[in-house]
Amino acid sequence: MTDASLPTGGAKPQSGSLTTVDARTKKRNAAEKRFRAYGVAAISTGILFLIVLLFSIVTSGIGAFQQTFITVPVYLDEAKLDKKGNRNIDDIKKVSTFGYNPLIQKAVLKSVQDAGIETPLTKSKQMKALISASAAGQVRAAVIDNPALIGQTVEFKFLASSRVDGYLKDRVKREHLARDKNIDAEHLDIVDGLQDAGVLAKTFNPAFIFGADASESRAEQAGIGVAMLGSLFMMFVVLFLALPLGVAASIYLEEFAPKNRLTDLIEVNISNLAAVPSIVFGILGLAVFIQFMHLPQSAPLVGGLVLTLMTLPTIIISTRASLKSVPPSIRDAALGVGASKMQSVFHHVLPLAAPGILTGTIIGLAQALGETAPLLLIGMVGYIASNAPDGIASGLLDPNSAMPAQIYEWAKRADPAYYERAWGGIIILLVFLISMNTLAVILRRRFERRW
Amino acid sequence: MYDQAELGAAVDQNSTKISARNVQVYYGDTHAIKDVNVDIDAKAVTAFIGPSGCGKSTFLRCINRMNDTIDVCRVKGDILIDGEDIYDKRVDPVQLRAKVGMVFQKPNPFPKSIYDNIAYGPRIHGLAKNKADLDDIVEKSLRRGAIWDEVKDRLHAPGTGLSGGQQQRLCIARAVATEPEVLLMDEPCSALDPIATAQVEELIDELRHQYSVVIVTHSMQQAARVSQKTAFFHLGNLVEFGETSQIFTNPKDERTESYITGRIG
Repeated sequence: MTDASLPTGGAKPQSGSLTTVDARTKKRNAAEKRFRAYGVAAISTGILFLIVLLFSIVTSGIGAFQQTFITVPVYLDEAKLDKKGNRNIDDIKKVSTFGYNPLIQKAVLKSVQDAGIETPLTKSKQMKALISASAAGQVRAAVIDNPALIGQTVEFKFLASSRVDGYLKDRVKREHLARDKNIDAEHLDIVDGLQDAGVLAKTFNPAFIFGADASESRAEQAGIGVAMLGSLFMMFVVLFLALPLGVAASIYLEEFAPKNRLTDLIEVNISNLAAVPSIVFGILGLAVFIQFMHLPQSAPLVGGLVLTLMTLPTIIISTRASLKSVPPSIRDAALGVGASKMQSVFHHVLPLAAPGILTGTIIGLAQALGETAPLLLIGMVGYIASNAPDGIASGLLDPNSAMPAQIYEWAKRADPAYYERAWGGIIILLVFLISMNTLAVILRRRFERRW
Repeated sequence: MYDQAELGAAVDQNSTKISARNVQVYYGDTHAIKDVNVDIDAKAVTAFIGPSGCGKSTFLRCINRMNDTIDVCRVKGDILIDGEDIYDKRVDPVQLRAKVGMVFQKPNPFPKSIYDNIAYGPRIHGLAKNKADLDDIVEKSLRRGAIWDEVKDRLHAPGTGLSGGQQQRLCIARAVATEPEVLLMDEPCSALDPIATAQVEELIDELRHQYSVVIVTHSMQQAARVSQKTAFFHLGNLVEFGETSQIFTNPKDERTESYITGRIG
């Protein structure tokens, strides 16, 4: 039908029949189909990547939530732990964890022998490789907590060493043992035997979610809980500083400020700040808050201040966008009945903009929650062996880490057991981010009003 | 409020409520209103007509200083209400707008309940001493807005759920709730269907017994139906101002005649 536009003789209609598709229409339809195909392809690729990402995160990280434990009865020998026999707490405290190690190793060996496992390892010292180094501290703490336990046989649930844990999780394989100085094939035979005897088992490990970080050599003990609290305190600082500052700044700029060169300049700079790499805010925080103002290093307060600086532009931009989206007719209506500018803003514009402001704030917080780079510069990355803070002041000022910084720290440690924990940390971080974003969506749906 | 005798007298005297003297309005470099002089009667409807962009809405917005909210807008000359210059430095525009109510082109109820829409003005101006007082004001205003019967059973339903015509009458009721003396209407019927338009026009005719109403309209029939005086604006000039009947039947200016017969605009 390419000749449709050419003059044709007779009574034939010049434009051709509507029931046949002409060349131009065919071409347009083909173009549209192609474009749709591109779109579908793009979205499918995205979804595919997302699935691969989620799958790999979950498969790599889920192991971190389980840990291998060995349950053994330990005889708390009075001759070793309380030589004077008077249960004086100060004397008991003088016995360091080195004093406890032989007792524990003896107990493990006894369990091995009781289970009837044949092994060439007959010395209790050789059991050291099975048990986490944290076991001695665990027993000592229990004894100091209750000196009456001395002289009795008490059942303890110890963390297995990270190699044993890795063996149960298929991370440590027998063919790799030649290169591993920490554990031998004989040990693994014992592990198999103990597992059959029910002494050793892999169970859910709440300490990973609630515990503190551990040193390089004790991967089995490390948890993300304290870093989570660090993140939480930082988020409080960000929320209490960035939300009021950001909303006040946006309301002023959007509703009250005269439009002149100065406000134009401020506007351009806010947009630019939103695009500044976060590490720049980190070094700014280092220079201003730590070196100039002498705030403590590694403190969530400083981290929160730095993240506030980083989040402010995001909050201001989203708040201004939601203020702008309130139709001017609402402002006119309020001014028309004699409301002052401020009344019109606070009674009418702000409530309508609130869902947008909240969403922007939550998105900004989520962004801050996942931020690592600025924390590198203010000392929140590294092995910060902190206990959970015991109050708001210590939560803000004591050295602590944050979730993403903790994950980064684990990922760069040598022990492969930490690799698994890094993935596990990512799962927890993603759960937080997804719940925050879901909250943002729910708030938006719930409070969005139509006009 | 006003008894009938007083009302009649006021209309008879044709007392001037608003008088504009040499009003110039600039939007940046644009001279939007050029030297307008006009006297608007109390307790009467005055219509502003003219082609789009002729400045009639701009001039209307000068009367309650809504133009103050536009940064680039400058107003020169004097506008007097009851002999007081509203552009005097001592005049607070917020106080002025309580006295000069405004109804906008598009119905713009607050996204709140019908009750709160009406009660908002009286609340911020402290017109009601207690809840009962406020209830009274709301009912009275809704009655004046000729919408009471339609909404009395659902005062706490959202105002945005009403039909367009009902919304506009709600907005009129909201405007009268603050006890204004002047009511400015900026094309109040342009977003309404003919039936709603007729209801609003009827309402405007009612309102003129208590308020000075100034209405901007694109519909010449509407101006002819509801107004007593008509002003014709063209290119920022007030071309002609007079009795409505005279403007529509016997215009003095050629441009007015061209416009009302449909040749320009």
